[in-house]
Amino acid sequence: MDADVTMTDAGLSTLSPVSHTLSPPSGEIKASPVTDSQSYDDLDRWIEMLMDCKQLSENDVKKLCDKAREILSEESNVQNVKCPVTVCGDIHGQFHDLMELFKIGGPNPDTNYLFMGDYVDRGYYSVETVTLLVAMKIRHPNRLTILRGNHESRQITQVYGFYDECLRKYGNPNVWKYFTDLFDYLPLTALIENTIFCLHGGLSPSIDSLDNIRALDRIQEVPHEGPMCDLLWSDPDDRCGWGISPRGAGYTFGQDISEAFNHKNGLNLVARAHQLVMEGYNWSQDQQVVTIFSAPNYCYRCGNQAAIMEIDEDLKYTFLQFDPCPRAGEPSVSRRTPDYFLVSF
Amino acid sequence: MSAESIAPVPRILTKEDLEQFQASETYNVLLEFILDLREAATGHPNSYECSISNTTLGVLSLLDSIEEIINRHPPVENAQSRFGNPAFRDFYDDVENQLGSHLLDSKIKNIPHLSAVDLQTYILHSFGNRTRIDYGSGHELNFICFLLCLYRLDLVQKEDFSALVLKVFNRYIALMRILQSTYWLEPAGSHGVWGLDDYHFLPFLFGAAQLSKHKYLRPRSIHDDDVLEMYAKDYMYLGAIAFINSAKTASLRWSSPMLDDISGVKQWSKVSEGMVKMYKTEVLGKVPIMQHFLFGRILPIDELPSEKADAVHGVEATEHEGHIHGEGIWGDCCGIKVPSSIAASQMVHEGQLRSVPAGAVRPIPFD
Repeated sequence: MDADVTMTDAGLSTLSPVSHTLSPPSGEIKASPVTDSQSYDDLDRWIEMLMDCKQLSENDVKKLCDKAREILSEESNVQNVKCPVTVCGDIHGQFHDLMELFKIGGPNPDTNYLFMGDYVDRGYYSVETVTLLVAMKIRHPNRLTILRGNHESRQITQVYGFYDECLRKYGNPNVWKYFTDLFDYLPLTALIENTIFCLHGGLSPSIDSLDNIRALDRIQEVPHEGPMCDLLWSDPDDRCGWGISPRGAGYTFGQDISEAFNHKNGLNLVARAHQLVMEGYNWSQDQQVVTIFSAPNYCYRCGNQAAIMEIDEDLKYTFLQFDPCPRAGEPSVSRRTPDYFLVSF
Repeated sequence: MSAESIAPVPRILTKEDLEQFQASETYNVLLEFILDLREAATGHPNSYECSISNTTLGVLSLLDSIEEIINRHPPVENAQSRFGNPAFRDFYDDVENQLGSHLLDSKIKNIPHLSAVDLQTYILHSFGNRTRIDYGSGHELNFICFLLCLYRLDLVQKEDFSALVLKVFNRYIALMRILQSTYWLEPAGSHGVWGLDDYHFLPFLFGAAQLSKHKYLRPRSIHDDDVLEMYAKDYMYLGAIAFINSAKTASLRWSSPMLDDISGVKQWSKVSEGMVKMYKTEVLGKVPIMQHFLFGRILPIDELPSEKADAVHGVEATEHEGHIHGEGIWGDCCGIKVPSSIAASQMVHEGQLRSVPAGAVRPIPFD
């Protein structure tokens, strides 16, 4: 999968001082400058730590985010993805369930993955989850695609938990800042073999074609309104046409809208995440749209299954459902009295 | 639209609005009311024998009636596989209708005519959001505003405060748990595991005060199943922990690290003080919550910075589906013509709805 947009060397060097001279791993198309062998050693070591759910040092997170920014900044707003690929929905910091997902779907890079955003907030391990996915992205940029969800935003993460978690796990908000700065570079949507359109939320009344999306300047905080906001916030609905979203951002869109969009752009399907569905996946709008949610028993409470969608070489879909990974033992993080309850506060 | 039918409306849109609210008389009255309720609960179990006035009995009876309304609207088969059950909307509409036809008058005597709409609005909004089928600490605060209105209207007195917490608020929490589990209300604005609780705050604030003079129960007692079994009924804090344990599939340390952390505090009195500080910051000090705070006749506010003539306003969809409420100075909606969703979408295409300039003030969206 080639990157749609090629940036000039000059453009890149203004983004980051990190050198990028080494050849890519064999068999992979070079999408962007990656790293040197020392960095691969670092990366493999980091990934090993993260697979054990151990967080990286603040400094290593900074290095990681710098490298990831180089790669992501070369990706398109509509990132092309080849099949076979396994498409996943919201994760929300449920690290152990992400491990279960890799068990069910196969390890990366043997299995190619496309994640449709919402890695952070609400779950216990947003830090470890997003760090791992970003590290894997750098390690095998052509075999893992990570899109932006509405939670990959400064404003939302300050409300829904990721900020609190970073503060608690690192004692300062630096790691939150590194990641939320990186989130600005995540691609908004992906296109599998020109037929399956993947994104976090849904369609936008300001967007008729994929070229409209390609023309957006995405390197910014998710705005409160407009096409970029809608792509990350909208939901399909039973009612026709566009509706006001009860979420206060994005729109609801009916089957007439998704049919017209798919027809105009030569698409078979819109695959999206963003909504909890009890079976982990849910067809809607006469199979124009499918919702995929990959966080089982969301917030330890919702009792939902999770699912991922495998797309094979012939573009046939198979849904794999999974249940939460049984949680053994107790968290290794030690108790820390919140500031409100300290005498000095 | 006649003058007497002005229902309380949300007004706060920005940090500056919130700051003005926090410096206002209404804020002081509200905070003092919460602190007085906490004081009235200090050292007392739920079973404490306190004076119960006719109004208090009326509110308890009102909550019983609400529970009967729940029973009339069992959850429906949810083909869409969405989380919140749409039967909640039938329940909500039924409550709204009954409140509109004298349910309040029949339970609580001497409500001034002009104030009925304030009481109706706060109590209705204390059961959650009709459109999103969710519930959070902002809705819980509406119930406190309902009680505060009764106090401001002289329908309850300070002597009633113990009963308002230990009987009435505790009954409300029990009712909310029925609503939450019947219709699977989604936690509004949930911080997930990093929040205090999916839905509530005040059972912890009042509950810690209840325990602050207890001879041997300590904050760490929340990990003792025998203690929970014996005392969950009598102390709101322990009742809340028992409910979490029953609703969550993982242990408290996984599902609620914040409560787990707080259990390391040595004394309940420290927990109680911390809860007040935390409530001021995390609930009363947060725009995403306070943007829904309802201002009306009894709990008023002066013109806010975002409402000044030169401020630009955004639009927000509210619980009346398909309506667009301009969050302007007047805040009245149901007396003016509002476009349907479809009309709204056509306006989008015609560039009318999107004529709100970039950077206009808008409420923080939900997820």
